[in-house]
Amino acid sequence: MAKKAKIYTYSIIYSPSEEFKDKVPYVAGVLEENNERFSSFIEGYKDGMDIKIGMEVEFSRFDEAGNVVYKF
Amino acid sequence: MRSVAVLGIGETKMGRLPDKSLRDLIKEAGTKAIQDAGIEKERIQALYMSNFNASYLAYQAHMGPLASEVLGLGNIPTIRVEGACASGSLAFRQGMFAIASGMYDIVMIGGVEKMTHRATEEVTTGIASAMDYELEAKVGITFPSIFAMIANRYFYEYRNVREEMALCAVNAHHNGSLNPDAQMQKEITVDKVKAGFPIAYPLTVFDCSLVTDGAAFLILSTTDIAKKISKKRIIEVIGSGHAGDTITIGTKKSITEFAATKGAAKEAYNMAGLKPADIDLCEVHDCFTITQIINIEDLGFFEKGKGGDAVAEGKIALTGSKPINTSGGLKAKGHPIGATGISQIYEIVTQLRGDAGPRQVKKADIGMNHNIGGTAATCVVNIFKGW
Repeated sequence: MAKKAKIYTYSIIYSPSEEFKDKVPYVAGVLEENNERFSSFIEGYKDGMDIKIGMEVEFSRFDEAGNVVYKF
Repeated sequence: MRSVAVLGIGETKMGRLPDKSLRDLIKEAGTKAIQDAGIEKERIQALYMSNFNASYLAYQAHMGPLASEVLGLGNIPTIRVEGACASGSLAFRQGMFAIASGMYDIVMIGGVEKMTHRATEEVTTGIASAMDYELEAKVGITFPSIFAMIANRYFYEYRNVREEMALCAVNAHHNGSLNPDAQMQKEITVDKVKAGFPIAYPLTVFDCSLVTDGAAFLILSTTDIAKKISKKRIIEVIGSGHAGDTITIGTKKSITEFAATKGAAKEAYNMAGLKPADIDLCEVHDCFTITQIINIEDLGFFEKGKGGDAVAEGKIALTGSKPINTSGGLKAKGHPIGATGISQIYEIVTQLRGDAGPRQVKKADIGMNHNIGGTAATCVVNIFKGW
């Protein structure tokens, strides 16, 4: 797993599916590393945070389901 | 291949219809289509039934026999077709193939969805089954957020079209206010769109298509049969295309233009022997306002990166050079997912027949519908000509 990846695109989600009800608002995005792109939850979002395409995020952990989680 | 025509159309009013069951919706729209075609229902040889999410939202699968029973179609073959939000146009194509091939002479195409009885989170979960559940839905991605990500990337690659996205909603609501079948009957302003409840940044609730109950049906026949029995303008299917792309957003070559739309459009234009400038009006898949801007570029109506300018200049209005979503589209007429593609064709046929009342466009001889499934992973484009 790449320690760092760049934000290819992102969104701040306010209207979640049932599983993510308790997490809003949160950020998910498509990250890019070594020309590969993948979807990830990006933790550590705070209201008013300035998020930009191309900005670097760090690998944080694997969640309970085994999916990667990155952090700001 | 034999030439295929749309002989009859029928649909329900779209909206929040708590008193109408799946059966009620099918009965109403299906009966209207049979009456509009002017045929005995015994002449229908097969039913292609589109539905996306009733297995989840209404615990109902096997939609073919259900609709056949409701409409009294006897022992004819039925099949359910599913391709996310493009299910309706996919069902249409299956019926078109069957007639073009000589297998059948008259078939029925139907679409139905019932969504508004479920909570927003449940609908969001249900719709998310059209993406990759393991790789996307499970990390928190929703459909609005997919298209919000597409919008943010579009802003980065071209320019910020937030204002123009809002104008797409304004145009849709205006057209919807002139369509008695539309869920939204009121005009909206740019400021109201931008100040709406945030769903997934940068999209507000007013950038999103609607959660809708509704049904739409068509009767298709050979063009020869239509010429013999129809008293209405003959509407021939002169072009049709279907293309696909990867299901996940991260694996697409570009997310600011859709390869599936471009592939489907190319096939449809080639079959019809037409170019984008020849299309008088088009119903595009505006699941979100940003999608409409990308669609009108991908279909070749406007230059890449200039779709927003075309919207701002009023080119997509009823009185513009390329009227888009005269029905109100998914944004204002509604998005009853399984019925959506068929409801788009309903509008094109209505316009080509000159029956669109206050929203009738002046020149309506060649119309198109464009229907996307999932993260532009499935796309169907059809071209219709009125004779």
